[in-house]
Amino acid sequence: MTSRALQIASLALLSIAGCGHPAVIAAAPTTPLVARATEPQDSSTKADLRLVPAEAYVRTYLQLFGGLDPVTAQTRARGGDGGALFDSWEDYLAALGFPDYRLDLPRATQTNGLMMAAFERLGTALCDRAVEHDLKGKTAVPVNERIIFAFDLPKGAAVDLAAFAPRFDVLHRTFLSYPASLAPTDRTRAFFDLYTATVARHAAKTAAKSRFTPAEDGWAVVCYGLVRHPEFHLY
Amino acid sequence: MFNLYRSPAASRRAFLKALGVGAALGATPFLPMGSALAAEPALDTEFFIFLHASGGWDVTLWADPRNEKRGIIDPATTDNTDTSHLHRWVDAPHDDDVKSFALVRPAGSNLVFGPGIGDLAEMYDRLCVINGLAMNTVSHPDGTAFSATGRHLSGGRVPGASIDTVLASELGPRQTFPLVSVQFPSSYTGDGLDRRAVPLRVGQIGSISKSLTRAGQYDTDADRDAVTALLSREATQVAATSSYTDVLQGMSVQYDGLRRMLGENLQDVFEANRLKKEHPELDYKARFAGGGAVNAAFAIEALKRNVVRCVSFAMGGFDTHAANYRFQAEVQQEFFEMIGAMVKQLDKTPHPTLVGKKLSDHTHILVVSDFCRTPQINMAGGRDHYPNNSALVISPRFRSNQAFGKSDPDQLLPARARKFIDGDRAIAPPDLIATFVSAFGISPRKYFRDGEVVPELLLHA
Repeated sequence: MTSRALQIASLALLSIAGCGHPAVIAAAPTTPLVARATEPQDSSTKADLRLVPAEAYVRTYLQLFGGLDPVTAQTRARGGDGGALFDSWEDYLAALGFPDYRLDLPRATQTNGLMMAAFERLGTALCDRAVEHDLKGKTAVPVNERIIFAFDLPKGAAVDLAAFAPRFDVLHRTFLSYPASLAPTDRTRAFFDLYTATVARHAAKTAAKSRFTPAEDGWAVVCYGLVRHPEFHLY
Repeated sequence: MFNLYRSPAASRRAFLKALGVGAALGATPFLPMGSALAAEPALDTEFFIFLHASGGWDVTLWADPRNEKRGIIDPATTDNTDTSHLHRWVDAPHDDDVKSFALVRPAGSNLVFGPGIGDLAEMYDRLCVINGLAMNTVSHPDGTAFSATGRHLSGGRVPGASIDTVLASELGPRQTFPLVSVQFPSSYTGDGLDRRAVPLRVGQIGSISKSLTRAGQYDTDADRDAVTALLSREATQVAATSSYTDVLQGMSVQYDGLRRMLGENLQDVFEANRLKKEHPELDYKARFAGGGAVNAAFAIEALKRNVVRCVSFAMGGFDTHAANYRFQAEVQQEFFEMIGAMVKQLDKTPHPTLVGKKLSDHTHILVVSDFCRTPQINMAGGRDHYPNNSALVISPRFRSNQAFGKSDPDQLLPARARKFIDGDRAIAPPDLIATFVSAFGISPRKYFRDGEVVPELLLHA
């Protein structure tokens, strides 16, 4: 009984102590922390560039082709004109780095020489068919219905650098998704040189026969360069 | 000043450092130095063919023949093997009506084979057989990776570069195609490899030709070449502004490689029908090795034209768990006879750059498999996976007409082959790989974590 009374008394004392006024801590102005050393923030990239997965490449390719499904894109790319621009998707899957689970072939995560050849083959097909569709139609295709060359061109003639730059910028944004003026290299100049050299080569009397005019060949070659550009394949 | 007694922490660090130096010094004789590194690098005159017998072969039918019941070993017999197409099967007594096979030993040969070797047995004086390879695995992916890289899989990933990639990187980066790999377990992993040597891995040779075809009605070779040259420069320039340059610089050299590739008009080298026409000596109608024969024809043609450094390919049909074991010996026979036909053709082909030399004088062939098959015949009449293996080397730099290593007589398990730096043990794939690359003046330690050079395998040790 006595111990019970002691327990109750102790609890009562504790609760009285706990309900007392809290200790008051006087406010004091905070002093700023003194810098001991300064280090610039490291915002550099921490990993090397990676190859865009083959599926993403093909999806983008189809989108550039006008949002077609693979079979229709294959039909359009092959054409019925004996152009031999394209065979079938099946022929390029291994070269593009797709895994083949039937043969236990893993996905290619890095470019190789054959992949570069396949990129060229597919890129050429896309650009040549785009020139045919956008620039060589019997009736002029409105700019907003064009698949790649979404700009006006002076009929037949090659353009100078001033006229080339804004048109190249359209292509640059289409393929690489940012303005050409922000490129880390003098890309507009380099591609203009490529364009003019191609136009000159095809305008020469000894030039090989082409289905395109020299100016069209020039734009086709600019398109090849962008659809095969390292920035198109890496992220 | 190096002071072992500075502080407890320093003492421990210093001790470990000293231990490391000591270990490095102690390991020096173990490293693949000596003769191999002293040799002049072979550079661009040597060619390589790597073959993978996919599925795991039965070594008792060729390299490590067993024709009698002993321990747990059930030999191949007329009961479990279809002998009707085997050139080298000669009945030997086994059990009443059931016959086993007589060992195949051509006159003058130090090597003894089983009938699976086929007519390749006649080339005994050029064959170096490695038996009793310790695989430590019975998993297909793991055994495949271990045979090609000397490393077991790590979390399902191949942790090291394969031998063909290493040789392509060291000796072939300037070649048009440093490495063409047809279903071979080639891997490009690790540091120090040249990006041009990234394997061209394809399911079949013919699929390459389609990517190399170019239309002529629109643009010209000069147009495409100008684009590729520009892109090569772009890759280099963008790399110069990047934190990590390896991938971009690699693309730059690959663009240059593409220009060379297309400039040499190589489509016909990769076209199956043209290859068949060009090399009628190979049996394209063979029941099991018909597809592989196209790859062999490609290897010969590509080496002849000096456009590849390494060709690697695989042939399936060896994974015989059930009644299909009846054809294991025939699969082997077709496989080895395809190799024999390829070597004979290389004998007839002049070296593309060395006047008066045959291609076979500078072509080095390594033949491996996932592992071998169980010594017992299972309930389904086949053999399962077993952690022993054999390999075959055909190379002027290897000692021929000899078998190195052995398996134990009763259980077919790898037996002690020699004293290695880590003690008496059986030879293993890392040792074979280290020895192979060291034969060409390449330090295995640069690329391979494990393995010790086995001088007994090398002609000039």
